[in-house]
Amino acid sequence: MAHPTQLGFQDAASPVMEELLHFHDHALMIVFLISTLVLYIIIAMVSTKLTNKYILDSQEIEIVWTILPAVILVLIALPSLRILYLMDEINDPHLTIKAMGHQWYWSYEYTDYENLGFDSYMVPTQDLAPGQFRLLETDHRMVVPMESPVRILVSAEDVLHSWAVPSLGVKMDAVPGRLNQTAFIASRPGVFYGQCSEICGANHSFMPIVVEAVPLEHFENWSSLMLEDA
Amino acid sequence: MLSTVSRQLRSHPALIPLFFFIGGGCTMSLTYLARLALRNPDVCWDRKNNPEPWNKLGPTDQYKFYAVSIDYSKLKKDRPDF
Repeated sequence: MAHPTQLGFQDAASPVMEELLHFHDHALMIVFLISTLVLYIIIAMVSTKLTNKYILDSQEIEIVWTILPAVILVLIALPSLRILYLMDEINDPHLTIKAMGHQWYWSYEYTDYENLGFDSYMVPTQDLAPGQFRLLETDHRMVVPMESPVRILVSAEDVLHSWAVPSLGVKMDAVPGRLNQTAFIASRPGVFYGQCSEICGANHSFMPIVVEAVPLEHFENWSSLMLEDA
Repeated sequence: MLSTVSRQLRSHPALIPLFFFIGGGCTMSLTYLARLALRNPDVCWDRKNNPEPWNKLGPTDQYKFYAVSIDYSKLKKDRPDF
């Protein structure tokens, strides 16, 4: 989850998010370099006593400041398109989970083998245990096996919602009447938080998403327990 | 038209990279649009002879422009035949 005063991304928990982080570093470095250059030029222009009233044109500098930005843009575009296509690939998922958005909670259905389904409501602030995160914890977490490709089918039962988990690099709109597909691989065990990302009414800020990635045996034990409780 | 442009280009050669990049960008965009129009299985041109091309997708065909890490020709064809 994010910590107070955090400016950058959360640590990556999936290979796609790692790629996004690296691309962001690349693009941001280019942005910083250009901004520094422009700032330097502004200061130099403003603080000089030299003037020149007779320059009309210069073909050489125009060629340079056409080709250089075009090259920089190509250097940004190629990794960007690569990640765009990479994020679209679904590599033979081991598990399919349906995440349905409601006002104002998520429900998860694991129907590959048995019919496991449960709702995931936010834990109200007054019911939090010490150490739990305000507005982020839920009563039931979406448990997934780690290091396995997981497919999430996202939809909604009433209004628009959006299922997002920043550290997994996943965001997919939940549209009523439509099935959207996204996938991720949790590269390490852990608990990853997200929040509903499409305005959906009064409690839009109070329907978080918690994904818990655990080793496969733990996932199997958890799903057996959940099936017994249901 | 072209002779006017090439005459003006000779005295302003800085415009040549501009033509190159803008022209290249337009060409790439229009080519991609044409590819989408002609190759995308979601597009139907001939309602009589090919009414629903999205129902004729092969399990090992690649329809995307660029596949980063999947080799579609090597995917298993274990889909039910309808």
